[in-house]
Amino acid sequence: MSILIDETTRVIVQGITGGQARFDTEWCIKYGTRIVAGVTPGKDGETVHGVPVYSTMLRAVGEHRADASVLYVPAPQVKTAVLEAIAAGMRLILVTSEYVPLHDVVHIVAAARNAGVRLVGCNTNGIISPGKSKLGGVGGIDPAEMYLPGRIGVCSRSGGMTAEIGLALKEDGYGISTSVAMGGDLVTGMSMAEYLALFEADPDTDATVIFGEPGTRNEQEVAERARMGSLRKPVVALIAGAFQEAYPAGVSFGHAAAAINTEDESASAKQRLLQAAGVHVAGSIEEIPRILRQVLGQPPYRLNGQQEKSSA
Amino acid sequence: MLPLTEDLTKNWLREHGLPVPRGRAAASPEEAARVAEDMPHGAVVKALIPAGRRGKAGAVHLVANPPECRDAAARLLGASVNGHMVQRVYVEERIAIRDEHYLSLSLRGAHPEILITRSGGIDIEDVIRTRPDQLVRAAVDPLRGLAAGDATELMGRAGFDTTLCPSLGVLAVALYEAFQAADALLLEINPLAVADSGLLSLVGAMMGIDQHALFRHPAWAVAAGALAPSSNPRELSVAVANRELPGGECQYVELAGDIGLLVGGGGAGLYQHDVMLELGGRPANHCVTPPTGTDNRKLKAVLAAILDNPKLKGLLVGFNFAQMARTDIRVRTLMQLLQEKKIDTARLPIVIRLFGAGEEISRKMVAGHPNVHYVPRGTTLKEAVRLIVELTGSVRDKAAS
Repeated sequence: MSILIDETTRVIVQGITGGQARFDTEWCIKYGTRIVAGVTPGKDGETVHGVPVYSTMLRAVGEHRADASVLYVPAPQVKTAVLEAIAAGMRLILVTSEYVPLHDVVHIVAAARNAGVRLVGCNTNGIISPGKSKLGGVGGIDPAEMYLPGRIGVCSRSGGMTAEIGLALKEDGYGISTSVAMGGDLVTGMSMAEYLALFEADPDTDATVIFGEPGTRNEQEVAERARMGSLRKPVVALIAGAFQEAYPAGVSFGHAAAAINTEDESASAKQRLLQAAGVHVAGSIEEIPRILRQVLGQPPYRLNGQQEKSSA
Repeated sequence: MLPLTEDLTKNWLREHGLPVPRGRAAASPEEAARVAEDMPHGAVVKALIPAGRRGKAGAVHLVANPPECRDAAARLLGASVNGHMVQRVYVEERIAIRDEHYLSLSLRGAHPEILITRSGGIDIEDVIRTRPDQLVRAAVDPLRGLAAGDATELMGRAGFDTTLCPSLGVLAVALYEAFQAADALLLEINPLAVADSGLLSLVGAMMGIDQHALFRHPAWAVAAGALAPSSNPRELSVAVANRELPGGECQYVELAGDIGLLVGGGGAGLYQHDVMLELGGRPANHCVTPPTGTDNRKLKAVLAAILDNPKLKGLLVGFNFAQMARTDIRVRTLMQLLQEKKIDTARLPIVIRLFGAGEEISRKMVAGHPNVHYVPRGTTLKEAVRLIVELTGSVRDKAAS
């Protein structure tokens, strides 16, 4: 298994006629993702890489059963498009768009929560369940180069870092059950702790790697869950951005969310909290597989669900 | 967050039917005096800058009549207040105030928050520190908004007189609507005054808006483009590029070190900066560059700033394994700028860690350039950082010897 998506997930691409959407759709299909329809207002009847395009979500779901949608719509239209996806019955919605106004973000996050819909992002570069399915640009044209199928869950605030973590794991023979770029914005749909709860419940995930940054309370929530004992599987955390504390307060280092509002939102405070809660804190990417080896034993202990777990 | 000047904030609130003292911006002492002619009870003249704490900076004057208003404006115009050059003043009628309270609305997380206290007219930080029991703080459901009944209830909890609570509740609802319609991240009313007449008046009002929502507020786009004061010409040039060019965001912060960092600004940028400090390297800057498509002008602006830094002794071009972006756009931009600026790479070691689409072309472009180290595939972010730290260290040693 995996979390959020697998080879059975049926996907609609909202904004499918845009450049990035066309590119990602092509490579998602080649990877095995079941993209059943696309939506772009006014483009009824067109096709993109063989995928039929409809004007509205309702028409698309009328013709094709679907569980998930991935959005490539411009930021000003994200709120409407997400509400449309919720109304059309999507259970999982990924928003790749950047710079969505915060008032719109909090609205769609609350609306998704009320409807029991899983919202990933905004500003996610995607989810991949290696060997099964991928949504979004994650992995580019050759996901296998970075993401090996296996039993480690990955949840990252940074899309780019999922590739680096995937590479480091692969180098050491570890594969991935699902890798999620949750989005690095101040407010996101699902929180890091919620992804960890899914990995916790997934019988085919043995441990989770998280990548965190300064700002927001995502990592604090993870520490809290770990401290309460609700995370029984090992968690390895890499938290970047401690350098900010070496400079005078008030120097801005980009990324709205990476601005530290309170003392405990700094990278080193997060590292301390996680460590104290029993999470394995890595000092570098290279350390992640080393820690996994210590807590899980030698890889590969099951690839593609074929090999049995080694006795180490 | 983009802070709006007082005139824009108060005009917005006025348009939303809120009780704001009469006032207008003026660009000359004469114009200021004319505004005050209509204010028989005197006026307040304030430096019109997108920053707070003007009172403490001596940029708020009480005047009794138009001639005094002219003098006060003459003193403020052209002066520098909290790093901002004063180009206009705000002239507002003086209100006889009975009580000063405080109300703010903010959006910093998944729920908007309302903060109320009867102790207004002073810094809210002081109230938080000294009288936390007088603060009422509540989250607002973004789908429901602020309901009048709930707002009235909050006023009761804040200790307001029961006869005042309903009108304060209605005011809070109207403020919330104005806050949301403005895409504001912060709307602070301090003081929220009860005038001698008994009427409520939004005497102090500060609003900061979401820069990503400017498409809904084109009239503010220019006003909000006022740049934060920076004495560093390189920081300023990147800020100008960020404001004026299309595409994602770019940013450049200069630091005291000598190794330039050309990074994306996301996780890998943070990580490489951490690793560089850990390995004893001293970054010359941090930066944010947008994903680069056909338009590389923002990337170019950031790279130019990095290369123009006189302290520069080494450069790291460090990015995540590219999943979506092309590597050759970045490398071509780098090589162009090196040529334009006639930089001899023999004296400026450069480490490039760029893997992914376009890599073959990228490697060809740097081939033959001395001291440009395009690290082989499989090199980790940390190894690339270590290489530039070592190379820069030896340049530094050579210079010292």
